[in-house]
Amino acid sequence: MFKLPIVFCVSMLMLAGCATPTRYIDPAADDGPVTMTMDYRDFEKAATEAVDDMLASGAVSKPNGERYIMVVSRVTNDTMQRIDTDQLTKKIRVALLRSGKVVTTTAVGLDGAEDEMSARARELRDSEEFDQSNVQRKGTLKAPDLSLSGKILQRNHKAGKEQQVEYYIQLSLTDLVTGLATWEVETPIIKRGPNESVSW
Amino acid sequence: MRVQAMKTQAMRFQKQIIAFSCALALVGCAIQPPAETAAAIDREQLQIDPEVNYFVAVTELLSQRIAQPGGEALLQIQYAVEARSNGDLAWKVTWFDPNGMVVKGVGEGYRKVSLLTGQTRYFTATAPHARVTDYQLHLREPQQ
Repeated sequence: MFKLPIVFCVSMLMLAGCATPTRYIDPAADDGPVTMTMDYRDFEKAATEAVDDMLASGAVSKPNGERYIMVVSRVTNDTMQRIDTDQLTKKIRVALLRSGKVVTTTAVGLDGAEDEMSARARELRDSEEFDQSNVQRKGTLKAPDLSLSGKILQRNHKAGKEQQVEYYIQLSLTDLVTGLATWEVETPIIKRGPNESVSW
Repeated sequence: MRVQAMKTQAMRFQKQIIAFSCALALVGCAIQPPAETAAAIDREQLQIDPEVNYFVAVTELLSQRIAQPGGEALLQIQYAVEARSNGDLAWKVTWFDPNGMVVKGVGEGYRKVSLLTGQTRYFTATAPHARVTDYQLHLREPQQ
């Protein structure tokens, strides 16, 4: 009578024992399997190559040694995946800030300021409730010199019994004085895998 | 009288020796052996895992400082590998400032590349900051 539940319980226990345990992955030593979708390693590769190239080109070195002010413009996601392009741009911003050559403004953006507090803090001007000595004065915000924009593309192909997924990460840096793109890069990320795996 | 004078002289000499010994001991305490700094540790600029040595030979490892419009200069390295057989390679550069401290780049991951037999490939990397003066290039075989 109790045979069936016991067998069931033992089977479940055995299956639970076989399951892969949840574990932390160290990005500095990750030899895990490659996915057909874009993962953090792809963004890291693209950002590393972009920053390497940007610094080596001298496009982000101001002749007088001061820092450029950059704004992040639109980075279009033209893939079949839901990608937050900040995953890419944040890495680039952080590296450029650390390089001491570029600082990013969060006070302006295509869809409004990234940090609206710069404008909100100025609304305190003339408020009797606030000590006016450290309320931001007029004309203190810095306008950007450079704009970072780009696109992430995806193309899928059949390659025999496999599928090939191509991602192209395209980035441009525009000098806002002249409107000219002073630096550009394209990083292709090509993956080939079984037809069963999904890339969206 | 003479014996007394000799005794006094001997005692004075003894005192001088004791004072000199104390002075030496104090100097000995003051001078500490220099602490071992990171810069004093010998660090190899090229680190190759033995498994990689089987199929790859590093034929070049160059470095230069590239001048920037602001007057600074960035360290740039270039290395070349020649593959004896088909295989995958992973590489990473760690950057150091003059004090031997690590200077962070974009990420910590290895860059993976595939090599074909007889193929020579060149790779470059640019330091993330002008204060970088040294580097370590690590080549290894990806596990998968």
